Amino acid sequence: MLVGMALALLAGSLISLQNIFNSKVNERVGSWATTTFVLGMGFLASLLMGLLTQGSHLLEVGQMQPWFWFSGLIGVGVVTSLVQAMKRLRPTFAISIVLTAQLGFALWWDSMGWMGLDKIPFTVHHLFGVLMIIGGMLVFKWSGQSHRA
Amino acid sequence: MKGSMFAIVGGAFLTLQGVANTRISESIGTWQTAILTQFTGFLAAFVTLLFIRDTRRGGFRAVKPLYLAGGAFAAIIISSNITAIQQIGVTLTVAILMIAQLCLTFLIDSNGWFGVTRQKMKLPQFLGIAMMIAGVVILKL
Repeated sequence: MLVGMALALLAGSLISLQNIFNSKVNERVGSWATTTFVLGMGFLASLLMGLLTQGSHLLEVGQMQPWFWFSGLIGVGVVTSLVQAMKRLRPTFAISIVLTAQLGFALWWDSMGWMGLDKIPFTVHHLFGVLMIIGGMLVFKWSGQSHRA
Repeated sequence: MKGSMFAIVGGAFLTLQGVANTRISESIGTWQTAILTQFTGFLAAFVTLLFIRDTRRGGFRAVKPLYLAGGAFAAIIISSNITAIQQIGVTLTVAILMIAQLCLTFLIDSNGWFGVTRQKMKLPQFLGIAMMIAGVVILKL
């Protein structure tokens, strides 16, 4: 449980760093060149981590399904959408919208038990927790607004 | 408006990516999932790049080497995200991701790190983060 929460904290921190770094690359290089480069770096880093931790066992993959081959297209969607959003909006504002959408879709898919997820029924206390998080985010966003163009 | 649309779609894709990766990792393993999705994504983007040549001023040589390393974070992001979703579910994972992202982005904004325009940190912003953490605690009850 705590390990899961710590890993989520780590992933979230790296995502915000990556967004900023990617937008810096995008200032000098085109969007598609940025996307290609970012995903290429991600591939090399994953390959290196996989080889370091599993060695030749890395190639012992289980049952591949055809759609697995196309899942990388989601990554293309992520990088291009975020780079475009960061280019048009202030970082805090852009990320606020991204996070609301992320949480909304997460709740929806958890409550449906979509794609083999453990189904987590949507209850009143889940609703309250999520509204609290969105409320906190709006307080955060609005209080920062006066500084922004 | 167009920026906001990109941000919403980006958010949906981010959650979808986590859910799809968790499903794939059950069949082929966690690092294998990261390698597969990054590689197929790279190929798709590369093919598109061949048709849309949008390289502009400066090029890669004009980018600070540190910023070029951003893409490599994906290995840790993907594997951590998969393990977190398996252990605590999508909503809680995304909620904690959210808090970490907002805190770090705001820390970067308020210090003007990485050449980002400096923003002042105000009391309501701490209140906002406190509310978000309270929301996570409520989800966990």
